Amino acid sequence: MLELSHVTVGYSASPVLLDVSLSLAQGEIVTLVGANGAGKSTLVKSISGLLRPTSGEIRFEGQRIDGLSTGERLRRGIAHVPEGRQVFAGMTVAENLALGRYVAADRARGRARLAEICAQFPLLRERRDDVVGNFSGGQQQTLAIARGLMSDPRLLLLDEPSLGVSPILVTEMFRLVKVLRDRGITILLAEQNARSALAIADRGYVIENGRVALSGPAAELLKSKEIAERYLGVGSGAEVSATESARMAARLRECVG
Amino acid sequence: MDGIAPDGVPALRVSGLNRSFGGLKATSDVSFAVAAGTVTALIGPNGAGKTTIFNLITNLLRPDAGEVHLYGERINGLPPTGIAGRGLIRTFQSARVFPGMTVLENVLVGRHRLIRPRPLGHMLWSPAARRAERDLARRAEALLDLVALTRFTHVHATELPMGAQKLLEVVRALMAQPRLLLLDEPAAGLNDTETAELAALVRAVRESGVTVLIIEHNMSLVMNVADQVVVLDAGSVIASGPPEAVQRDPRVVTAYLGEEVAA
Amino acid sequence: MLEFVQILIGGLVVGCIYAIVALGFSLVYRVTGVINLAQGGFCVLGALSGYTAASWLGWPAIPAALLGVLATTAFGTLLGAASFVPGLSRISNANMLMLTAGLLTFIEGLALVLWGSQPYALPPFSRERPIDLGGLLVPSQAFWVIGTTAALLLGLWYLLARTRHGHALRACAENPTAARLMGISVSAMTLFSFGLAAGMGALAGVVVAPTTSLQFDTGGLFTMSGFIAVAIGGIASFPGAVAGGLLLGVLTQLATAYVSSLFSNAIALIVLLAVLIWRPNGLLSAGVARRQDVREEARVWKHITRLHPRSAAIAAAAGLAIALAVPLVVTSEGMLSGIVIAAILFIALIGLDLVMGYAGQVSLGQAGFMAIGGYTAGYLSVQYDVAPILGILAGMALALLCSLVLSVVTLRLRGLYLALATLSFGLLIDSFAVGLADITGGPSGLVGIPSFALGGYSFDSPVATYYLVLAIDVVLIVLLAGLVRSSFGRALQAIRTDQLAAAALGVNVVRCKLVAFAISAALASLSGSLLAFFFHFLSPDMVGTPRSLELVAMLIVGGEGTLVGPLFGSVVLTMLPTVFQSLALYKTLVSGALLVLCFLYLPEGMFGALASRLDRLARPRPAGTMALQRERA
Repeated sequence: MLELSHVTVGYSASPVLLDVSLSLAQGEIVTLVGANGAGKSTLVKSISGLLRPTSGEIRFEGQRIDGLSTGERLRRGIAHVPEGRQVFAGMTVAENLALGRYVAADRARGRARLAEICAQFPLLRERRDDVVGNFSGGQQQTLAIARGLMSDPRLLLLDEPSLGVSPILVTEMFRLVKVLRDRGITILLAEQNARSALAIADRGYVIENGRVALSGPAAELLKSKEIAERYLGVGSGAEVSATESARMAARLRECVG
Repeated sequence: MDGIAPDGVPALRVSGLNRSFGGLKATSDVSFAVAAGTVTALIGPNGAGKTTIFNLITNLLRPDAGEVHLYGERINGLPPTGIAGRGLIRTFQSARVFPGMTVLENVLVGRHRLIRPRPLGHMLWSPAARRAERDLARRAEALLDLVALTRFTHVHATELPMGAQKLLEVVRALMAQPRLLLLDEPAAGLNDTETAELAALVRAVRESGVTVLIIEHNMSLVMNVADQVVVLDAGSVIASGPPEAVQRDPRVVTAYLGEEVAA
Repeated sequence: MLEFVQILIGGLVVGCIYAIVALGFSLVYRVTGVINLAQGGFCVLGALSGYTAASWLGWPAIPAALLGVLATTAFGTLLGAASFVPGLSRISNANMLMLTAGLLTFIEGLALVLWGSQPYALPPFSRERPIDLGGLLVPSQAFWVIGTTAALLLGLWYLLARTRHGHALRACAENPTAARLMGISVSAMTLFSFGLAAGMGALAGVVVAPTTSLQFDTGGLFTMSGFIAVAIGGIASFPGAVAGGLLLGVLTQLATAYVSSLFSNAIALIVLLAVLIWRPNGLLSAGVARRQDVREEARVWKHITRLHPRSAAIAAAAGLAIALAVPLVVTSEGMLSGIVIAAILFIALIGLDLVMGYAGQVSLGQAGFMAIGGYTAGYLSVQYDVAPILGILAGMALALLCSLVLSVVTLRLRGLYLALATLSFGLLIDSFAVGLADITGGPSGLVGIPSFALGGYSFDSPVATYYLVLAIDVVLIVLLAGLVRSSFGRALQAIRTDQLAAAALGVNVVRCKLVAFAISAALASLSGSLLAFFFHFLSPDMVGTPRSLELVAMLIVGGEGTLVGPLFGSVVLTMLPTVFQSLALYKTLVSGALLVLCFLYLPEGMFGALASRLDRLARPRPAGTMALQRERA
């Protein structure tokens, strides 16, 4: 359903993403794991159109989308729930949700969809006309996901949904992700909480320094020793020689004074 | 560059640092000490509060409670010039090199706190002033040579690849002759070779007597250079000690890889 | 009592106009984070095109007014699409402020060309005679003003609260990133808000025109009033902007009636400065957080261009030779005078370059210091027969004092707010220059100022003055060039781009800014004094806020951060109307257009572009670096 081929984002001398290829089949939950700054968000943004790749192709349902605007991609069924939620704090729940359908061509469906979403999320139905600024992190996250769902997406991109959300709600949220998949939405989940994400996913990709370091079925990744190594530096790299160190130190002292 | 303090006084002591933003507790009763002449790594998952700690130490943020002592002296509330003047120099997570200036000029700014101002001399183009500038430039060029950045000397800093920019920031900080150097994720975005070079530099910095406190995600770098590791999760210190011990601590493993979610 | 109510009503009417202009400011600010100084220009354009529709096409008042509004809205939208929207993705908020100042100048120039410099009066919409309300005489137009304002407020509320596009506008104002995620085109919304604000301004213009006379440069007045209104009421809230406008209207009318018309301006400005310093969010707005400059990532920092030492030496020698030969070649006294003026202004410019080009601190009040220097030296030599050199020194001392006070008071302000504070300072000095007539001679100026004289020799002729000023210019270039090559110069440049990182390295940011600002003020003062001695006369419009904006234009056009670049800008912008006498009418238009175009397409300025081209030829780039690119999201 979604295919990235050799996507590079950023300048050639220091790319943020380098030669990334990945794919999603319809109905899958695929998760991207990796440290902060590894490039997960950049990857997600290039799929939704906030960033453009400097080279490579992105195909959605067989057609190239890397030249299309965010609005156009939304119309084709790709919705992005961003990192940090990014709700419109000064506006009400209803207004936030309505904006989720801003580009939708079918205006009439808008009100019906709003009712559907509110039915699915009782919290939002209760607080329909409340201004969102004072909501807790978890409530805002729910709203952000609901807003993403307003446009009837076929592919939902979730960027770090568990960040800033209390642990109990995190469990709820991952359960919601599975429910959404069961309803037929394909999900790409970028998460730092590797274990939880891999537990519900079908497949996973480990992103490190802008590249795909590992990939495979989620269950295997979860058990693999390599993940532990990458996260915890078990079996770490080259040692630095003591004499070299001393020599550098002496020169350093000379320069710096 | 003498970072060795009189017996027992740690280069840095942080006690009971507390800071909230709105209702969110960013740091909760954080305490740790950094012995003079050592490298301490501050690690923890994203959002754990590591950069907040740096900001609290350097007074970019005021703590709600708690104290910071630099070589025994309480530095809470000092302005940035006071902090830097006492040899506490930091780098930033996003490689804040000065955009409109060349690599050499960036490094020269690092020396600012130690330069004796000679306004009249410079305005009149006096030989003494010009000689001082030449000596300064020589010192800076030697430092750039040490870290293999010579080829970029007259290039505008923002045209450098990200790895070189991060290195430049560290070099610039070194020019300020720090007693305590705070490095915020210096290896982020560096490839393996660059990380190894950074590790060598950090070790050399320590050998030359400077105390280092480093925030890092790159575990292999941490294991390589740190004498002590302090682990932060959700604003609290959950473990501290030598790297090998911390690596095996189950609480640390959980903090990094996450909890198992009931299926 | 009746008189009080009468004045109150008058204040309300004026206040409504300010409120509309303020709303326009607020709208654009909330969506883009930029204050659009051209707002007032649209008021004038609307009124003047309405007048044309009425007089040329013979249309009755109301349809003519509507046509004027429509035409101005269309023009404003086009202008915004060509300048404002592209600028947003390239330049910082503070520079955008100056770009909009350029747009205002451009609009004024356009109005000057199309309608001339005479004032226009428009017929009121309904009956000529005022309506009698139990003793109160209220002009009928007042009802139109208040009614239009109310209708506009209602319409705006409906747009923002109930329509899809209004929601999209609010979304952009709240969170542009999230708005883009929703598929909203932020640039389309920006254009929409810009055009809408232009239309609102035009509406205010046509509806107030019958009560007052308007001319091509009244736009500046509207802008300033609207801007003071939002500063007082709070720019990030619509109710605040409206309240600020009404409050200001009433305040100024009361001040004019009971205090003095000359000082009512000053009072407003002092209130403004106070608000900017202590409550930058405005007196009435509460809890609306100030938006960050969301385009930080897209900002392209200009590199300070420096010529290779050898080429610099050659260029300097050549330049000096040309400069020395000028009086021999230029025989027309008019042209030589023009060159002398350019050289005198350069003194103020090089100071401005230190503050804006090197330290990156926006200063829109440089001419204020020129006024201080000019009037001090002028007054002392006219009244007390003080030797000119002592007069100059006294002026510089006073300017230094003022700069220190201004610096300390605006210490915590950055970017946009700093620009606004310096602008307010300049306007304050303007009103003192006009108001303190005993010292300054008021609007007609100070006459009888002698020529500059030193040790018995009096610099009477343009040629003599030219060589004097040339010598001063050369000395200044040498001194300042040396200064910027020191740790102080580097500290300034560091402060320009990243104050936080500079402070973390031990740079005393406060002290550096104070010193730079003080030097700049002293130089401006010197420039003003020399101007007074050259013309034997000084009037407020020689050293007023338009001059401040002109100085900024010269700096940008010539090239910031180059010390020498401003000379080009000064010569070009001073000489153009002198050389092309018949084009003097177009000077305002051209200088406004030049400023806007330079910001958009030639941010390095003329000299800067030339120097960096030469620099690139002389210094090849090593492998592994990236060419400077702009990241387009």
